[in-house]
Amino acid sequence: MSRFALPRWSLIAALSLLTLAAAVGSLLFGAVDLSVARLIAAASGDGDRVASIILFDLRLPRTVLALGVGAMLGLAGAALQGYLRNPLAEPSVLGTSNAAALGGVAAIYFGLAEIHPVVLPLLATGGALLSLALLFILSGRAESPLTLILAGIAVGTLAVAGTSLALNLSPNPFAAMEIMTWLLGSLENRSFEHVWIALPCIAIGMAMLLWNGRALDALTLGEDAAQALGTDLRRTRLRLLIGTAIGVGGAVAVTGAIGFIGLIVPHLIRPLTDRSPSAILLPSAIGGAALLTLADLGVRIIPTTNELKLGVVTAFLGVPVFLIHLMRERRLW
Amino acid sequence: MRQRDLFAATALALFGGGGLLWAASPAPRATEPAVPQRIVSINLCADQLVLALADRRQIAGLTKNATDIAMSGEAEKARGIPLLSNSAEQILAIEPDLIVGMPASRSAALAALPKQDYPTLDLATADTLDDIYTSIRETAAAVGHSERGAALIARMQGELEGLPKPGKGRIAAYYQRRGYMTGTGTLIDELMTRVGLVNLAEKLGKPPLSQLSLEEMVAAEPDFLIVESATDVVTDQGSEMLHHPAIRDIPRISIPQAWTVCGSPAYTQAARSMAAQIARIDGDRS
Repeated sequence: MSRFALPRWSLIAALSLLTLAAAVGSLLFGAVDLSVARLIAAASGDGDRVASIILFDLRLPRTVLALGVGAMLGLAGAALQGYLRNPLAEPSVLGTSNAAALGGVAAIYFGLAEIHPVVLPLLATGGALLSLALLFILSGRAESPLTLILAGIAVGTLAVAGTSLALNLSPNPFAAMEIMTWLLGSLENRSFEHVWIALPCIAIGMAMLLWNGRALDALTLGEDAAQALGTDLRRTRLRLLIGTAIGVGGAVAVTGAIGFIGLIVPHLIRPLTDRSPSAILLPSAIGGAALLTLADLGVRIIPTTNELKLGVVTAFLGVPVFLIHLMRERRLW
Repeated sequence: MRQRDLFAATALALFGGGGLLWAASPAPRATEPAVPQRIVSINLCADQLVLALADRRQIAGLTKNATDIAMSGEAEKARGIPLLSNSAEQILAIEPDLIVGMPASRSAALAALPKQDYPTLDLATADTLDDIYTSIRETAAAVGHSERGAALIARMQGELEGLPKPGKGRIAAYYQRRGYMTGTGTLIDELMTRVGLVNLAEKLGKPPLSQLSLEEMVAAEPDFLIVESATDVVTDQGSEMLHHPAIRDIPRISIPQAWTVCGSPAYTQAARSMAAQIARIDGDRS
């Protein structure tokens, strides 16, 4: 038991409050200064046209997406770290997000997304699933946590190269800018159409990952012990694979690959819990929602001529976590 | 070059369009032969003027995008004429007796040619209608058909004469992919003024090319959005932005990029189409 362990409910309540504050902030601030009074008037339905369009068509979908996508990435990070017993496992480090982006790029730039709205998340999910399967095959039963990360880098690099190639092959003269958005992620100019694409996938993905809590706890004792305790490892792995693929696929399909949320959040949450994998699942989801919403708020508030890309902000937050682990691990090498 | 339309320029450069490679190595300008017989154009905008003014058999080479109907107003005429990829070798093989560029003397491909005096015509980037007339006159004289230039200018003047100004001082924004907005001192700005519209960029004091977020656009409440007709269909995230529900209710004027990227004879088509579209939108409203 960690000394800092908070009772579970108070941790969840505190994180929820933070998330709520982030969401309110996300609705209050943007490129145009709108007074709180004007926004409240718009929210209650008797505001002016400009304020209500900005609030309901621009800021609300953006906030909802930030919350949903952040929750999904945070939860996926917590679940992958628990299952693989590897502190660096998360969708963007393992290449899952980039593979999903490749699927999304293929759907949009070759005109497949126009066939039916479901094609975009379907292909993104397919990309994510393929990368996870490839990853599990590549790293196999290797004991070293390094193997998995190396395999992830291989898969991720391949996906990034594929994304650039797909954009270069498509008849799009603006490919360079599009590549940047897909690889660094952005919540700019999202609408409710995007929310309806992403949210169902995220809901399914999160449900499948939260289901795994018990099995993850058992796995901390090793695979054999877990099996002895009655855990069906094959089913656990399948739920984890499919849940991560669907959730991350749906999220990336509308926002591009946002990095490091899944890495940072579980590391921030873990010291506040009893460190069992199941205990960090739900708090990581809520924390992820708060972190991404705050990062997106930062993107909007930091004054730059062109809007910052989300991946830039999350990388600045995530890389230090990565480095701390590198320093710690070095002692073991 | 003024930043008339960064995006058009980017598009040309990325397409490998012959003309937009700027290198600083001026070639000496030779005296022109009476009627050149192997004209090479190394710029998309020059392609259109050459096609409009020279005889087909006089043209020996155009840029890669000359046949792209999305980019050139004279694309139909360019079919069958050899397209060059801006390589010095290809130009050398043709042995042109006139090279037209914008400007030709600063082309990297020409700089790579051995020291040999090719007659060149340097056209200036056209930001106003008068610039277009000047380019037409210069090209017509260089290709040996001055009378065609005069006739073309007269035709354009005729087409613009009596063009109504249905804009009535209302505000319009030329909104491009990813929220780029075209400002003053550009051909687009002149077109707006010609049909009686006021450029939103001027009202907001923005530079010739600026980026305006959707929120800012909603708050600015322009009366019209002018968009490139290529963005009428969502093909990527950049064009998807222009279809966001937040700006769906602003009336749209859609103009093919091919008419506005270059200062070309298509200017009159753009002006007339804009006036007609404003009139149609007003008609639907009343």
